[in-house]
Amino acid sequence: MHHSRAIVRTLFGALVVLFAIWSLVVSPVSAAPFSQDVEPTQGSSKNAQEVTPNNLSIGDDTCLECHGQPGLTMELENGEVLDIFVPPQEHAGSVHGEMGYACVQCHTTVGDYPHPKFSALDQRDVTLQLNEVCQRCHPGEFELTQDSVHAAAFNTGNREAAVCSDCHTAHDVRRLTDPDTGELTPDARLWIPQTCARCHSAIYDKYLDSVHGSTLIGTENPDVPTCIDCHGVHNIEDPTTAGFRLNSPQICANCHTDPEIMDKYGVSTEVLNTYVADFHGTSVVLFEPETPDAEINKPVCFDCHGVHDIAWADDPIKGLKVRQNLMARCQVCHPDATDNFPDAWLSHYIPSPDNNALVYYVNLFYKILIPVVIGGMAVLVSMDAGRTLWNRYRSRKEKEQVELETDVKQPLPGRSKSAADESEVEHE
Amino acid sequence: MSLQMNKDTRLESNGVRLERTYQRFMLGQRWEHALLILSVTVLLFTGLPQKYRAAMWSQQILATPERLDLLRQIHHIAAIVLIIEATYHLFHNMYLLFGRLLPEDIFPTWQDMRDAWQMLKYLLFLTKEKPAAGKYNFEQKFTYWFIFLILGMMGLTGLIIWYPLVVTNFLPGGIVPAAKLTHSTEAIVTAIFIIVWHFYHVHIERFNSSIFTGRLSEEEMRKYHAADYERFAGAVQDTTEEESGRDAS
Repeated sequence: MHHSRAIVRTLFGALVVLFAIWSLVVSPVSAAPFSQDVEPTQGSSKNAQEVTPNNLSIGDDTCLECHGQPGLTMELENGEVLDIFVPPQEHAGSVHGEMGYACVQCHTTVGDYPHPKFSALDQRDVTLQLNEVCQRCHPGEFELTQDSVHAAAFNTGNREAAVCSDCHTAHDVRRLTDPDTGELTPDARLWIPQTCARCHSAIYDKYLDSVHGSTLIGTENPDVPTCIDCHGVHNIEDPTTAGFRLNSPQICANCHTDPEIMDKYGVSTEVLNTYVADFHGTSVVLFEPETPDAEINKPVCFDCHGVHDIAWADDPIKGLKVRQNLMARCQVCHPDATDNFPDAWLSHYIPSPDNNALVYYVNLFYKILIPVVIGGMAVLVSMDAGRTLWNRYRSRKEKEQVELETDVKQPLPGRSKSAADESEVEHE
Repeated sequence: MSLQMNKDTRLESNGVRLERTYQRFMLGQRWEHALLILSVTVLLFTGLPQKYRAAMWSQQILATPERLDLLRQIHHIAAIVLIIEATYHLFHNMYLLFGRLLPEDIFPTWQDMRDAWQMLKYLLFLTKEKPAAGKYNFEQKFTYWFIFLILGMMGLTGLIIWYPLVVTNFLPGGIVPAAKLTHSTEAIVTAIFIIVWHFYHVHIERFNSSIFTGRLSEEEMRKYHAADYERFAGAVQDTTEEESGRDAS
């Protein structure tokens, strides 16, 4: 008895201690949730300082004494000449410079003079070597890029695949998000397509002409998507996979089912619902839960509306409200389609007397017929069952009566021999 | 043709009472019904997952495009079986009817309206008399023609959504989504009709196995097809008198 109480007490004490440790461990973590949008936190910049304690005494002025001189170069292993001149205002004007980060916080190995030997195969090798430093302050973002289509291309041997400084630049790193809201600044929304265009210029040209691109560039309208709104940022997914394709309607739906955005332009927010309800969408969304990477030959949004060259629905050249444009799209997959065929697609309309009237009235017909059929049958069947049970009950009663009255009287001979005990229903 | 007495089963031996039975369905009709059950069941079970695609059980069945294709192929094969059976049924019976080889029992008559009215009164306890039915009572005729129309509708709409490109060559495109809606909704109406109405009348109200055995007992004849029984039994009264007398002894 004494023993068991001691065990219970020990266990309880252990539980309390465990809980105390758990709350200590968990609370700082949950207080600073990981987010790819946040600026480098106090903690991470402190961490960076700890790594380079000796160098912090070296101000940018010291570096710029040499590197602020135009024409300063060094030769690389393959003979390429690397320009190591840094215009003084370039770093000072960047988000890093504004926040007081020093050259040596990124260029961690060059604190001493003469500098330790630095060697690189070529200019790209310089970028790749120095790019590693970003993760010291931005580990979350750096981690995300490792899952991106760019990292995948890099890992298959493409050294030109984008790394941090290819998009953000090395010295002239600009602030892209509002520090208070964490949202992209209006300027950043404009810079992003230009940034991507450095490599993806053909797509940029298409985007510029699209309903989204022309609105963004022309009017700086924040409602239209810039590249990263669809493709994501840092962990940019390969858009050519079956999985991306199958999931792509959700990307469009993010904005196109949002009445706050769509109502301004009179664009229907039922586009996803109506797509899912119609032939193509039905099959596309079917496999999403169980086989998100299923290969499908059914069209998704961008198969009909275009990938980057998305046009207004009533655009005379590409818009799908123009019949011959729609027809051309149909014929991509249905080469034998004839004039009537495009009407087999409900064109994102919810059937009404004005649009797809036949479907509307068929639906109405069944809305009436089904309750009438089910209700009518249920009533008739239960009435029939009731009457049958009633008859059975009465015939038993009657039989008892007959047995009492006639004792063991034989049924009458003749054709209706067995009718004596059956006829109570039909032949009364 | 409609009512033939099976004389062999009227015999009795060793005090065992043998009941006479009446032929109701020919062998071919029974096979047709079996084929109908088979194809409609397959169609229903391969169609439901396609209709209720938003449900989790459906998405588990149709997890991959290959499975959807397989299910659709099975659905199409069953559809072809049913179309062949329905076409055979139509032409075979037209041949029999025009050749006066089949009585016209199945066609609705004004008597059916009167029977339905009397049945309603019976169900409302306004009369004690059930209408005396012929070979097919009004409810069976209604079932037959309801299924007849539905099969036609399902076949037609099914073919439209199976071959939309062909159909839109000569019909407006709006026919296709309307056919899809009709096909999938009508299927549910049919399933409910068969389960509630047909199953009640042939399983619960009484177990009517004549579509499988081909025969009705005398008792069933008297109880459920009184008019036909009277007509028939009246005609054979003379020949049955003897046996009846012996039965009683």
